[in-house]
Amino acid sequence: MSISIKRGRGRKYLPALVMLGPLIAFMFIFYAVPFGNMAYESLHSWPGDEKPHVGLSVFQYEKTTQKSRTVKSLKRTFRISIISTIITFIICFPITLLLLRSPPRIKVGILLVTFISLASSLIIRNYGWLVVLADAGPINNILIWLKIFEFPKRMAYSEGAIITALVHYCMPFMILPIYGSLLRIPASNAEASLSLGANAWTTLRRVILPLSMPGIFGGTMLSFAICMSSYVTPLMLGSPSTAMVSQVAAEQIEVQLNFPWGSAIIITLTLGSFLIVFIYAALVSKVMRVDV
Amino acid sequence: MFEDKSFRVVVNIAGWLAMVFLVFPVILTVVVSFNGSQFIEFPPTSFSLDWYANISSIHRIGSATLISLGIGLMAAGLATVFAIGAALVLVRYPLPAKPVLTAFLLSPVTLPTVAIGIALIQFFIMLDVAFTWYSLVFGHIVLIVAYPIRTIIASLTLSDTSLEEAASSLGAGRLTVFRTITLPQLRPGLISGFLFAFLISFDNYPISIFLVRGELTTMPIEVFNYISQNLDPTPAAFSTLYIVIVSIVIMLAERRYGIISLAVGK
Repeated sequence: MSISIKRGRGRKYLPALVMLGPLIAFMFIFYAVPFGNMAYESLHSWPGDEKPHVGLSVFQYEKTTQKSRTVKSLKRTFRISIISTIITFIICFPITLLLLRSPPRIKVGILLVTFISLASSLIIRNYGWLVVLADAGPINNILIWLKIFEFPKRMAYSEGAIITALVHYCMPFMILPIYGSLLRIPASNAEASLSLGANAWTTLRRVILPLSMPGIFGGTMLSFAICMSSYVTPLMLGSPSTAMVSQVAAEQIEVQLNFPWGSAIIITLTLGSFLIVFIYAALVSKVMRVDV
Repeated sequence: MFEDKSFRVVVNIAGWLAMVFLVFPVILTVVVSFNGSQFIEFPPTSFSLDWYANISSIHRIGSATLISLGIGLMAAGLATVFAIGAALVLVRYPLPAKPVLTAFLLSPVTLPTVAIGIALIQFFIMLDVAFTWYSLVFGHIVLIVAYPIRTIIASLTLSDTSLEEAASSLGAGRLTVFRTITLPQLRPGLISGFLFAFLISFDNYPISIFLVRGELTTMPIEVFNYISQNLDPTPAAFSTLYIVIVSIVIMLAERRYGIISLAVGK
């Protein structure tokens, strides 16, 4: 009896095992195990540490929360990510409304531009901002022409430059999910609100925004995660004094060969980023009463 | 809603300004690439194609681009094959702990990319296979496999299972049904998943930088190094070529497979 049940079960799960098994095995070996190994490494001491210890300890994590370079970079990463995400949302929401009302030709045009930016290289898009913000670039020249500056001002290699480039990079990730959720709102909802006497702004605030919350949550969460983990953008558009967490961790691995501390720094970032996203999801589902 | 004039005007102005912000750096890069000056300057002062000729002076750009192409094709190809089976199971088969498995497979996208690089280099050093081309392929698969899984799941949810039932009730075997009914229905998801997986691998810097050494190098790494060591507009010429090629590929994929509607979900 029990054998036949077992066999029946085995047969039921056999196709699933054959088709999903290889990928699960691959991801276990090349993703779960390396992360476990990195977490284990982060509990070790490094030969160059002041008081090297034998065995496991949370020393590297204490160091991460005490050294001013890591603490500053953690705060900076968090600040830049929040600011960039908010600006990206404010810039992108009008684009999604524009998409909603545009005739098909323009709609496809806007979406194509969005997709092309999504597909173009990050390094190339950051380079574009180096061009825009260059000493002899258009922004400096316009400001000099307007007599706001007398001489070109160094605008690249600053926190402002990093935020600008991050906003630009995140735009497609914000536009697509919000537009997707706007499409799912039946037109009759807005019509009902308008015919009951609400004006367009009230309808936007009371009907459209709450109903597009799943898309807004998806877009802002993705942008925030992208900003928190940014590495290339601060390398290209920042300076050593604007270092973000990924840079500090990479520096420990590549320059100092301090694997334990580098691992601890990047794990701190990962956990911090997960925690914030988790709290955000809980808040959104509680305050807005929507499932996200 | 858009009958309200003030609302319409505000949406139009804000929306189009934001679109200008999105395309501005691209247009400027194209303009600068044709300028004769040694430095980045705008407005341009003279016309020249020198920077296009100078692309070859980017260190190892030819071999690095070939390596990136090879790694990208292999990683995206394997990831897509893995994803077909995984997506089919995740959509069609009753399986315990499905949400956990899905979350696990899609999670690398939300992690700091540098974390994947740091975890993998320590693991590959431990196995003594660090700085090999195949370890680079494996690393890229971890990062990109979520994209084809997502797009194929989207295609599967839209596909019509009654066609498969009809085929098998008419006597077609499981493989025949898969080959002649399921696979063609999945084509848009396969194409767009493969395409994005390839583009993300081709463009990756934060994982590759940990996994390459010496002759094993990729296009983004060499372009990045050139940009950080030189101030001339050669990268602008390279960028212009890159953007033109990507635009053509995306437009063809949209015309033929409608990848945009698939991603937006309608």
